[in-house]
Amino acid sequence: MIDLSMIEWGDIAFATWETLVMTGVSLLFTVLLGLPLGILLFVTASGQLLEQPGVYRVLSFVVNVLRSVPFLILLIVMIPVTVLLIGTSLGVEGAIPPLVVGTSPLFARLVENVLREVDRGVIEACQAMGVPTHRIIFGALLPEAMPGLIAATTVTAITLMSYAAMSGVIGGGGLGDLAIRFGYQRFQTEVMVITVALLVMLVQFIQHAGDRLVLYFTRK
Amino acid sequence: MIRIEQLSKTFRVDGREVSALNDINLEIGKGEVFGIIGRSGAGKSTLLRSLNLLERPTAGRVLIDGEDITGFDRSRLYALRQRVGMIFQHFNLLNAKTVAGNIDWPLKSTGSLSAAQRAARVAELLALVGLAEHAHKYPAQLSGGQKQRVGIARALANRPQLLLCDEATSALDPETTQSILRLLLDINRQFDLTIVLITHEMQVIRTLCDRVAVIDGGRIVESGRVADVFLHPQHPVTRGMVAQSDPLTAAMLDPGHAFAKDKLRGTLVRLTYLGDITYQPILSHIAAATPARFTILQGEVSSIKDLPFGQLLLELEGSDDDIRKVFAELDRFEIHHEVLQ
Repeated sequence: MIDLSMIEWGDIAFATWETLVMTGVSLLFTVLLGLPLGILLFVTASGQLLEQPGVYRVLSFVVNVLRSVPFLILLIVMIPVTVLLIGTSLGVEGAIPPLVVGTSPLFARLVENVLREVDRGVIEACQAMGVPTHRIIFGALLPEAMPGLIAATTVTAITLMSYAAMSGVIGGGGLGDLAIRFGYQRFQTEVMVITVALLVMLVQFIQHAGDRLVLYFTRK
Repeated sequence: MIRIEQLSKTFRVDGREVSALNDINLEIGKGEVFGIIGRSGAGKSTLLRSLNLLERPTAGRVLIDGEDITGFDRSRLYALRQRVGMIFQHFNLLNAKTVAGNIDWPLKSTGSLSAAQRAARVAELLALVGLAEHAHKYPAQLSGGQKQRVGIARALANRPQLLLCDEATSALDPETTQSILRLLLDINRQFDLTIVLITHEMQVIRTLCDRVAVIDGGRIVESGRVADVFLHPQHPVTRGMVAQSDPLTAAMLDPGHAFAKDKLRGTLVRLTYLGDITYQPILSHIAAATPARFTILQGEVSSIKDLPFGQLLLELEGSDDDIRKVFAELDRFEIHHEVLQ
C-alpha cells in the first residue's frame, strides 16, 4: 500500500525543476553543438554541396565512437573533464557536460538524416539559380527541413531527460537523484513511483509539444 | 547564342568509365526554341545540365555569347547561372516558402534589388504567369500546372536570356501541358528569350520548338527543323518517337503494315509539303494536267508550331509516262514525294 503522507512534496517539486533545467540547458548546448556538426556531416558527404570525403570520414568516425560509449560509462569517464570545465562533477551543473557530450553526436546524426530527406531537386534548383552555397544551406535547406529538425530535437530532448535521470547515479541532481537516494537506497517505493510517473508525464508533454510544432511548420 | 563543341561526358560507375555524352556539336540561335528529344538514359538531361554546369563536361567547350563557360571561376559561374533560368519536371519549389516567397528567393539571394523593387518584380511575374491571387499560398496547395507556373516565374525573376526546361511538362496532364507550352511560347516571343528544352514527347517538340536534335546513346543522331525531322525521320529512334506520337505519320511511313497489299494495284506515293503550298489546290491541278488517276489512302493537313504542312499517301494508277508527268508536276510545286512500293 502506497502511503503518500511520507512524501516531501517540496523535494519532488525542486527535483522536477532541476530535471527541467538539466534537460533544457543540455538541449540548448546539444543543439548548438550538434546542429552545425550535423550540417557539416550532410554537406561533406559524397555527392553533396561541399563534398569532402576525408572530412566526412573523420567526423563520422568521431560521432560513431562517441555514440558507442554507453552513457553510464561516459558519465564516469567525463568526471575529470567536467571538473576541469566547471569546477564540479556534482549536481545539476556537473551533469550538463556529459549530457551534452552524450547526446550531441546522436542529434548530429539525426540532423544529417533529416537533411538527406530534403528533395535533392530543390537544392539543384537553388544551384541552378546561382545561389551561393551558404545561402542555400541557411535560406533553403534548413527551412525545408524544419519539421524534421523539430522532430529530431524532440527525440533528443526525451533522450536527454532519461539520461539526466541516469546522472543521478554519479550525484547529478533532479528526479533521478531523488529516485536513487530515496526510492532505491531507502526503499521508499512511493518516491520511486512518483518520480517515474512524473518522468512519464514530462516525456508525454515534450512529445506532444514537439508534434504540435512539427505540424505547425509542415507545409505539405 | 549557344555553341557546343565536341562535348563529351563520362561518369565513373563502380570503377568503370560510362560515356553519357559523346562528341556533341550544336549551335542554338538567339530567341530560338530548341528541343532535345530522346529516350530516358539517352543523355539529354546531362546535355541540358552542361549548359549551366550543373554537370561538368569531361571534354569540349560550351560557348554562351561567345564565352567558354567551362573555364568560369565560381563568381562568374554564379553570375552566369543568374542569367540562365531553369525549370524542372518536378518543379522543385521550396515547400516552406509561399508562392511569392519562391519567386522572391532568387531575387533576394542573388540580386541587388531593394525590398520594394523585389516586391514590384514579384507582382509583375505573378501577373505574367496568371497567379496573382495565389501569392500567399504554399506550393502544396497548388495544382501541378500552377506549380510549374511558379517555377517559370521564379526562373524568369532575374531576367535571364536563356531558359532551360528539364522535362517541364512530363509530370502534367495533356491539357495542362498545352497551357504551359502556350505560356512558354508567349514568353519566348515577348522577351525574345532563347529556350532549350529536353523532352521525350514529340508533341512538345511539335508545339513549341523551331529546331530539334534527337539524341541516342549520348550522340546526336539527327537534327534539323522540326517539320523536316518530323516528316522525314531518318534514324530508327526518331521514327519510333514519331510513330508513338503520331500513328497517322507512322502508317504513312510504313504503309505495308497499314494496308492490305492485295488490294493495292498502283504505285504508293507519299507527298509532303510545308508552308503556303498547303493552301493550294495541288491535287486538282495534277488531275487536270495528267491522265494519271489517284486514290487518297491517307492524309493529314495540320501545322507544326506556326508552319502549315500536309502529307498525303496516294495510290497512283497510270502508265509509267503518266506517273513521270505527275512527279514532274510535283517537282514544279516543290512538293516532296517518295515512292513507297
